Amino acid sequence: MLRSLSVLLLLSSAALADTADGEALKAMTWDQIEAEARGGTVNWFMWGGSDMINAYVSGYVADRLKAEYDITLNRVPITDAAEIVNLILSEKEAGITDAGSVDLIWINGENFRSMKQGGLAFCGHTDLLPNNALVDWDNPAIANDFGVPVDGCEVPWNTVQFAFAHDSAVVPAPPADMAALLDWIRANPGRFTYPAPPDFTGSAFLRHVFIHAAGGPDDLLGPFDPATFETVSARTWEILNEIEPFLWRGGQTYPTSITQLNELFANGEVDFSFNYDPAQFGLAVQAGSWPETTRSFGLASGTIGNTNYTLIPFNAPNKAAAMVVQNLLLSGEAQLEKAKTEVWGAAPAIEIARTSAEVQAGFAAIKGHPSVVPAAELAKAALPELQADWLIALEKGWAEKVGN
Amino acid sequence: MMRPDPRRADRLRLLAGLALAGTLILPLVPLALWSVAQGWRFPHLLPQAWSGRAWAHALDPASGVLESLALTTLIALATTFIAALVGVPAGRALGLYRFRGKGIVTLLLLAPAVLPAIAVVFGLHGVFLRLGLTGTVAGVILAHLVPVLPYMTLVMAAVFARLDPELEAQARTLGATPFQTFRCVTLPAILPGLMTAGLFAFLVSWSQYLLTLAIGGGKVQTLPLLMFSFSSAGRNDITGAIALIYILPGLLVLILTARQVTGRGAALTQGLRP
Repeated sequence: MLRSLSVLLLLSSAALADTADGEALKAMTWDQIEAEARGGTVNWFMWGGSDMINAYVSGYVADRLKAEYDITLNRVPITDAAEIVNLILSEKEAGITDAGSVDLIWINGENFRSMKQGGLAFCGHTDLLPNNALVDWDNPAIANDFGVPVDGCEVPWNTVQFAFAHDSAVVPAPPADMAALLDWIRANPGRFTYPAPPDFTGSAFLRHVFIHAAGGPDDLLGPFDPATFETVSARTWEILNEIEPFLWRGGQTYPTSITQLNELFANGEVDFSFNYDPAQFGLAVQAGSWPETTRSFGLASGTIGNTNYTLIPFNAPNKAAAMVVQNLLLSGEAQLEKAKTEVWGAAPAIEIARTSAEVQAGFAAIKGHPSVVPAAELAKAALPELQADWLIALEKGWAEKVGN
Repeated sequence: MMRPDPRRADRLRLLAGLALAGTLILPLVPLALWSVAQGWRFPHLLPQAWSGRAWAHALDPASGVLESLALTTLIALATTFIAALVGVPAGRALGLYRFRGKGIVTLLLLAPAVLPAIAVVFGLHGVFLRLGLTGTVAGVILAHLVPVLPYMTLVMAAVFARLDPELEAQARTLGATPFQTFRCVTLPAILPGLMTAGLFAFLVSWSQYLLTLAIGGGKVQTLPLLMFSFSSAGRNDITGAIALIYILPGLLVLILTARQVTGRGAALTQGLRP
């Protein structure tokens, strides 16, 4: 404990193994990078709200890094990655280009777009990672983060697909698609609500309604189109305003975060919750927050899938060690460990077929949590994520037309 | 005319005391229950099942809670100590002497306690960033001094205003060195006030969230930050366990200084008065 305290005290001065110069690293071989990484410290800023995810990172990942590479992993728990994007932005404005406070972030979506557009990401290093070979970069859902090309600026960590949760003891037969869900809401006043966008999850629910209003995602792919947005969004606001009186508390108010919706669901005030990462349902049941009879489902009309990533900021002082962390996270063994139900239950971001026979057998042996709808089942009806411009227009429109 | 029954007054006083203690302690009961709950959902009055899991997590060295407790204590103690070093002489100057611009100095000292924290944070962050102090424990301690120093200085100013400087003069005439005078005369006289100011300083630093988050950049993980990351994720059980740990040092400091703070130790000051 004392040692890590003194590490904190010393953080103001430059780290011992300073590998801030990313261009120099890119000219090296992987063995050289590993040698540079030895003895380094990686400050990994990540959402810290799940004890099981925290335990996986501070336990399995940190232990392996220490034992195999003598790298100290300092997991920094945060509540919102947007705060860290702002932190790095203000570091850039203050002229801090090689001694930033962040070495690695867990990120995706709008935050990635901000980092990439602001020149805040360290790009072009992903090909150097040996385990990059396990990633299927031909898959557009991995090569694009919310429609923004990844371009070697971040490394995939998990894939997720939106799903709904219900208590099978209360609602034995949940609606099968968006149209049926809207009917269900009208037939059961006060039993459904969604977090007000721009909450990450509430915004995702809004996009499902938007895609439903468009009759499918085909017209919405690609860059933002004002004319299409105009007609489809008008229909979306009509649907949402029409169901508003049937929502929890008559739609007078909306939960402000997914945490609030989860709490409402846990206390039986509403009959559904939903999440971008269905593994969270299993974690909530294992934590005792949700009933054992919780089950989850996708929609026949499809649910949106995405990938989340790890990213090294442009001014990270320990780039070599952060790259070793990224490589380890991508390894078949680490991806298998976090896929285990009792560890996290997260779906892998790598192609299982490209891993060793042992790892493949491990994946085959995983028995899913009964509350978590299997990824393979969700994947049967998958929708692509819309580009960030659509997202922003939708969130703004919702605030004006529905949440006013 | 009825004479008031003294026993009834006593009973009323006891009742009022209990009611006050109840309102202070009752909000802690759900925290304690949550910390050992394995699921506690409406409409159940008590948790459905009990579990030591939140405490196991909070006390597990890998979770960083204990480390954070040590760090929070270190920061609060260091802040209090530095605040005393600065605040005692400053309080003495404000309390004992009249000088030009005293009103403005007092106003400036009060400013950080009056201004909204968010306004202070933005400016401070920019300055600290350029000085390379963000993300460091030293930077966080320095930042905590901003809201802490006004309390320390103003309490000490009030204490010194009641101190008779003639006492020090007498000690000096009797041959005491300046240090002996401070140790044997001044310090005993101001000690109860210093304890009160120290308690304020410790608790103000202990409860900082915004300043720690901004200046520490998330890297200096004090208990309020850690607690918030679990509460915002809806983990009431772990939040409850950390909250109870979070209360402990404050209680400890309060118990240790209660005698001085409640004025029972004030006899010492009075005894010194001529």
